[in-house]
Amino acid sequence: MRILIVEDDREAAEAMERGLAEAGFACVRAADGVEGLDAARADAFDVMIVDRMMPRMDGVALVETLRREGNATPVLFLSALGEVGDRVTGLQAGGDDYLVKPYAFAELIARVEALARRRETGSVQTLLRVGDLEMDLIARAVRRQGKDIDLQPREFQLLEFLMRHAGQSVTRTMLLEKVWEYHFDPQTNVIDVHVSRLRSKIDKGFDRPMLQTVRGAGYRLDA
Amino acid sequence: MRDGQVRLPRIFRTTPFRLTLLFLALFAAAASAFLAYIYVATAGEAARRTDQDILREMRSLAAAYERAGVDAVNQSLIERAASERPFLYLLMSRDGRRISGSIEQSPVEHFTGRPAWTTFQVSDTVEGRAVQRPARGLQERLSGGEILFVGADVAEDEAYVVKVVRALWGAGALVILLGLAGGVLVSRNVSRSVGALTGVVGAVRGGDLGARAPVRGSRDEFDELAAGLNEMLDRLERSMAGHRHAGDAIAHDLRSPLTRLRARLETAYMDVEAGRGNPTEALSQALEDTDGVLKTFQAVLAIARLQAAGAAPDATIFDLAELAADVAELYEPTCEEKGLEFGSELTRGMLVRANRDFVAQALANILDNAVKYTPPGGAVMLRVRRRASGEVEASVTDTGPGVPDGDRARVVERFVRLENSRNAPGAGLGLSLVAAVAEAHSGRLELDEGPGKVGEMGPGLRVALVLPGAT
Repeated sequence: MRILIVEDDREAAEAMERGLAEAGFACVRAADGVEGLDAARADAFDVMIVDRMMPRMDGVALVETLRREGNATPVLFLSALGEVGDRVTGLQAGGDDYLVKPYAFAELIARVEALARRRETGSVQTLLRVGDLEMDLIARAVRRQGKDIDLQPREFQLLEFLMRHAGQSVTRTMLLEKVWEYHFDPQTNVIDVHVSRLRSKIDKGFDRPMLQTVRGAGYRLDA
Repeated sequence: MRDGQVRLPRIFRTTPFRLTLLFLALFAAAASAFLAYIYVATAGEAARRTDQDILREMRSLAAAYERAGVDAVNQSLIERAASERPFLYLLMSRDGRRISGSIEQSPVEHFTGRPAWTTFQVSDTVEGRAVQRPARGLQERLSGGEILFVGADVAEDEAYVVKVVRALWGAGALVILLGLAGGVLVSRNVSRSVGALTGVVGAVRGGDLGARAPVRGSRDEFDELAAGLNEMLDRLERSMAGHRHAGDAIAHDLRSPLTRLRARLETAYMDVEAGRGNPTEALSQALEDTDGVLKTFQAVLAIARLQAAGAAPDATIFDLAELAADVAELYEPTCEEKGLEFGSELTRGMLVRANRDFVAQALANILDNAVKYTPPGGAVMLRVRRRASGEVEASVTDTGPGVPDGDRARVVERFVRLENSRNAPGAGLGLSLVAAVAEAHSGRLELDEGPGKVGEMGPGLRVALVLPGAT
């Protein structure tokens, strides 16, 4: 997996590169928007991490230019601007995800993984399968080892997200953003309770638990 | 001063001065036209009439000459010299010698034979003194070759003209004075109004944001400008105060958690150095603490931004009940897990114009508190309904210990945590954010007693976010 990091803060970019390298990603760094544009035009990447505010060409302009040129590489915006309006601007410009600084590495890696993976499964699926767990998106039915599992609508959405990102860590914030579409941090761990409920439904009574808690990051659904 | 450029004294560059000058110029131009007309209509008219009289006299004498020759003219001259209009006559022979008349010599020099007008002086004796009086005359050659001169004393006309001119000068001076006075009056008025505004601008530039322009109630453009300026300054002052407050708040609010973080890191460092602590554990603790500080920072920033903006950004119209149902769904499992009974009464169609994310967060914070402080076995109730006033209210009632009457205003302040809740997690920002959200939407946050004491439970707390209904 190849990542392009477009970030003018060198120290931050280096730290990011180290963290991503440890997670198995190969990184190329660009120090500003213009360099980033050149790099993105010259080479193919699986994910681009783009800072919003940079000298010469800001992140939004960079991504807009690339999208106009037909470049569809998934983009994760990094920004110190965390207002709802800023997030919307970033996503409208063609960004695929938005992460507010400062962030935890686990959060960054989880989101980069999610973006990189999303690209692989391009076609519209109607049936998701992870190990012996099956989800029929049309009949809205879930089965494990042939046994029907009854889920509430939200639990269904939660499981769908986890299955689409099977094998990857997903953070609590990601779940809150992607499943509930909220952009704030609840003080208590409401998400944990939802996940533990879901876990009791899909793992209880089966010999092998699928839904793992990843320490310091979030959760992972393993086959 | 070099380059021959003369800097005008300040007064000459002022608007009042220029206005006065303009006023004066306009007045003078109008007056000149006026006075010129008066001159032509009076003095000019007098001169014309004299000329006509002379011409008529000349024609009449010429007619007499045609009828009866030189002798008749001579006779006429003698008769007419005694008539009411004192014409001056001179009849001369073909070669210019005097035949008869009331003057000795023609004032016309180099007579060519064509009719000639002239202005001249006649000598007269008034009370024994010789005086020169202005006169005007016409000299013509009669058909027989004799030369006739007819003149008239115009001293009276001249005196009249002088009077008129003097009157005109006086009028001119008066006009200029009036123009000056008018100009000064108008420009003083303008300059006072502008001066007041300039003073305010200067004061504001000097840092006094409280300066305001006087509004005189005359409802003219200056009043309008002053009112507009004042309104602008009010807004600016509010915004500045908001920002200053936000800055102060952030600085204040972050100092304590950062101090705590630093102390912990220092202790951990000493422990690790002394071989007592586990570095991994210390680092992981530090990371967790940092996350806490960041969370606090984000909450404080959100509150400060809302307070500074004074209005919620990106407001949309949505059903508060629907949003409440969403948020309730988020908290329901947590309630169940903690052994709390959770119920909701949501009247659909409660439209509000608000920022969805902020209101969701406010509701989440209220529910968070209820879940946190209500002991197992208690109940949490979420309601959304319209009040009789038309306002829309989302309220959460719990059966926890509640907040004593005297503390209710205080718990809304940032970082205030009541004594018996010290052990619960949180930084004490939840209700402050709710209050900020309410305020930014022209709504309010209300805290009341819950359902009252029931056994060990209660009296509970009822927290209501009240927003204006959208139509």
